[in-house]
Amino acid sequence: MVEQVDLIRLNQVGVRYQTGNEALKDVSLSIKKGEFVFLVGSSGSGKSTFIKALLREVRTTSGELFVENKRVEKLKRREIPFYRRRIGVVFQEFRLLGDRNVFENVALAQRVIGIARKEKIKKNVCEMLKMVGLAGKEKAYPKELSGGEQQRVAIARAMVNRPSILLADEPTGNLDPENSWEIMRLLEEMNRLGTTVVVVTHNHEIVDQMKKRVVTVQKGRIVSDMMQGGYEV
Amino acid sequence: MSVIGYGFRQGMKNIWKNRLFSLAAIGTISACLFLLGLFYALIGNFRNIVKNMESSVGMTVFFDEGITEERMEQIGEQIRNFDGVKKAEFISAQKAWQDFSREMYGGDSELMEAFGKENPLKDSASYEVYVDDVSVQKKLVPLMEQLDGVRKVNSADTVAKGLGRFNLLIAYISVSIIVLLFLVSVFLINTSVATGIRVRRSEISIMKYIGATDAFVRLPFVIEGIVIGVIGAVIPLVLLRILYERILAFILTHFSVLSEWLTFLSAGELFRVLIPVSFLAGAGIGFLGSSLSVRKYLRSIR
Repeated sequence: MVEQVDLIRLNQVGVRYQTGNEALKDVSLSIKKGEFVFLVGSSGSGKSTFIKALLREVRTTSGELFVENKRVEKLKRREIPFYRRRIGVVFQEFRLLGDRNVFENVALAQRVIGIARKEKIKKNVCEMLKMVGLAGKEKAYPKELSGGEQQRVAIARAMVNRPSILLADEPTGNLDPENSWEIMRLLEEMNRLGTTVVVVTHNHEIVDQMKKRVVTVQKGRIVSDMMQGGYEV
Repeated sequence: MSVIGYGFRQGMKNIWKNRLFSLAAIGTISACLFLLGLFYALIGNFRNIVKNMESSVGMTVFFDEGITEERMEQIGEQIRNFDGVKKAEFISAQKAWQDFSREMYGGDSELMEAFGKENPLKDSASYEVYVDDVSVQKKLVPLMEQLDGVRKVNSADTVAKGLGRFNLLIAYISVSIIVLLFLVSVFLINTSVATGIRVRRSEISIMKYIGATDAFVRLPFVIEGIVIGVIGAVIPLVLLRILYERILAFILTHFSVLSEWLTFLSAGELFRVLIPVSFLAGAGIGFLGSSLSVRKYLRSIR
């Protein structure tokens, strides 16, 4: 049962870069706890800036952005790492550490938040790897894995600290259709377990078939927001 | 504890992974600390030689006419009790005449007989006073002059002043050069670590995305810097020790004539100071250099 609480709320948010480029204009949007949302739009429409603003990688220049009732643009520099621990993030290019095996890549997220006990890290990491279907691959290095498997490791790393939000920026962009579907099913499973999922994608087929909420961005503005929508860029 | 353990392991891995950069940084620190050590050895020995010269610059304390032997002994005790006095040697009137005549007449008994049996320097018994530091002479002279029974105090004031100033000059020069070497080392390690950071920027950005604090990101680099600094300190220490002992042995064997003038510090005396100083400097340079470059990089990313 999805609780009707705003987890992410944007009130007339704007982002203007120092170059003068206005990437987001007057964006207002609410995402409730437990929702699964697709963010679609053509290249340069402002989707990535939206993700960056949520991660506080860029600062909004107007309006208000709330995540878990925290005013994101007001966060102090030292507060940002603790804020980001509540958000898991997955990228198109996986961004795994090539010199560390699967276990170490996922365990890094646990070490970063200060979990000290080896046994606890091992238990959490193995549990998460099992959940993403990579049990037994702990000692493999990223280059020994397929693209789909690498993205699963990235999802395991994003989810091992049990964040309330999972942001996925083009998670299937480098994958074949079969692996893309497997990754989407995995994200759906994470959502079913209670995580709010926001997926930025260009994949028409996936958006059309999954029948989730679809927010369309064009030239920095939200042009449509449909429950059980389709890809209409 | 686990975070520190993790930082240490990653720091050591980083050193191995970026062994070319690490070697460059170790080489840089080694070169700087070698120069520092060499300079310290030169300055230390130079100061030691000057100090020995200082302690050979004495003062002569003469007594009033007709003073008793007992009073002279008392004065001797009082002088020895003054701060900074290394030695007060009694020169009897007889010894003063013997030394004088030996110096003047080269021990020619005929010339000496011209004075008969009387000692022309019968009132010239004195104390030769030697000090630890030539700069205390200025204070000691009036103190000794005030003692009851003391007629006059002779001191080599010009020599004392000259040596004092020379010592100060050496101290200024050594501090300036050491500070300069330290700054050069910090700059070079900073550049080396910054290159290492550029190589690992994607790793740092991933860590930042998953919520790593600046301290967590910084730790392996700082440990890496300190370890590089300490290794960079060991190499010049070993080299300097071998070199120093060989040079010392060479000088003492081939220039034994100068041994009275050239009083060198023993390797033990020199390295008792140089070892902790080099380790601290190495670790400090590594810490400062790596901290500055990581801090600069972290400030440039969000």
